[in-house]
Amino acid sequence: MVRKFFDIIANNAVPAVFILISAFAIPLSGFSASYLVQELLTRIGRNSFLILSLLIPIMAGMGLNFGMVLGAMAGQIGLLFICDWGIVGIPGMVLACLIGTPIAIILGIFCGHILNRAKGREMVTSYILGFFINGVYQMTVLYLMGWIIPITNPNLLLSRGYGVRNAVSLSGIRAVLDNLIPTVITNPEGAKQFLNVNGAGSFFLIQLPFFDGTIRIPLATFIIIALFCVFIVWFRKTKLGQDMRAIGQSQSVADSAGIPVNRTRIIAIVISTVLACYGQIIYLQNMGTLNTYNSHDQAGMFSIAALLIGGASVSKASITNVFVGVILFHLMFIVAPMAGKNLIGEAQIGEYFRVFVSYGIIAIALVLHAWKRNREREAARRSLRGGNGGKA
Amino acid sequence: MFVAFLKFLMRWFQRLIVLAALIALGVWLFYIGREHQIFLDNKTSGNFKALEQINVSVNGGEISELMQRERDVKKVVGPKFEIRAEIFDEDGEIVSTISKEIKICFSKDIMINLPTLAAGEENFIVPAPK
Repeated sequence: MVRKFFDIIANNAVPAVFILISAFAIPLSGFSASYLVQELLTRIGRNSFLILSLLIPIMAGMGLNFGMVLGAMAGQIGLLFICDWGIVGIPGMVLACLIGTPIAIILGIFCGHILNRAKGREMVTSYILGFFINGVYQMTVLYLMGWIIPITNPNLLLSRGYGVRNAVSLSGIRAVLDNLIPTVITNPEGAKQFLNVNGAGSFFLIQLPFFDGTIRIPLATFIIIALFCVFIVWFRKTKLGQDMRAIGQSQSVADSAGIPVNRTRIIAIVISTVLACYGQIIYLQNMGTLNTYNSHDQAGMFSIAALLIGGASVSKASITNVFVGVILFHLMFIVAPMAGKNLIGEAQIGEYFRVFVSYGIIAIALVLHAWKRNREREAARRSLRGGNGGKA
Repeated sequence: MFVAFLKFLMRWFQRLIVLAALIALGVWLFYIGREHQIFLDNKTSGNFKALEQINVSVNGGEISELMQRERDVKKVVGPKFEIRAEIFDEDGEIVSTISKEIKICFSKDIMINLPTLAAGEENFIVPAPK
């Protein structure tokens, strides 16, 4: 009984800590409920796709795919091209995905082959691989673009004539997906004000009498995320999905059963990388600015942190973990600076605290995972020895 | 052996079709999604003298009032756009109205010489300034 309770606590320690911190920080921040809901909805739309792309490698037993930054870089290259060519709106976004896809597939195959040579150490290998490909990306963007790769838009290029500027405006595709099906939730009074300001445009206006405030919902983004969730649920039931789950449980058993382990692992990484490419494009269309040399850096770390905060582990993650994680993680993002300011008079303290907690949580989750795995091994060993610890 | 070879060919054929379809989709997206800068130029060009005043609207958007030797720029998305212009005389009376659909296709930016357009000539599209 005590052991079961201890197991429940151990399994949900990270989300529990975050719920506890949020419960203190939300009242301290002084933000209204409608503001928090608006911010959370925006951030769920912005980040969920990236985090969902991590699920498939976990299913295949490859741990947290730090190599997702490879896909993010592919997406950014697609965005740079559409900015240069001046393609705007949804066609621009789709074209960026189209350009990014072959790059992401090639990088995914490359990453998969390397990870197959580093079985059991996939996370650290993919993390370092991210740095390596980042070097290649920086060389391409900083030296080859505008010199060998034609970039003609002077707004994109550095003053020396080649290399892309540090910040690129994505005004052509900014929030195009989020505003594709504009939806607003408000109360009747808010609806009148909204109509006065915006006019009777083509948007869905949902009126709730009890609702306080006005929130905009990125409905099209949510529909795409929902479709992606359906894809994951369907994919798990396919032959390939079952193969990945079998590999995730035991590679040697899967190999004995005739499953092509290495090939399946490569496919898992390719799917994850391609989806990360699309996720980064969705993320950046929401932000509206591409930080050429840094945007992808944090994509992997923040997505993984959010997934772990949602209660996932290195070997097990679900769609629920993604959404719980993105809500808890970004709730901290929103409330921590203001809570810090109201508590100590310094917003930076809250921000430092949030960064400290974000990275710390990855460390805690990894330590908990290692500790749990060792405990399970120990339990298995004990059961093999007849449950008496091997003593005669 | 022959069946296996046929299967192999078929598989590559299918892949090529998918690849060609994706490239075609890319070209179509490029075609319909490209943003163009349309320079509206009310300056003397050859025999066509600058107009006293011309009000121009592109795709039913905001109207630009252009006096002699003035220039404005509009942004349009897609391979074609509609231009509507009202030409005024020295007394401020509307002399004529022009409505025309212009195709840009794959070119990036263009400049429309309004006096040439008002004269009903076909060569009113000139290269955009850099």
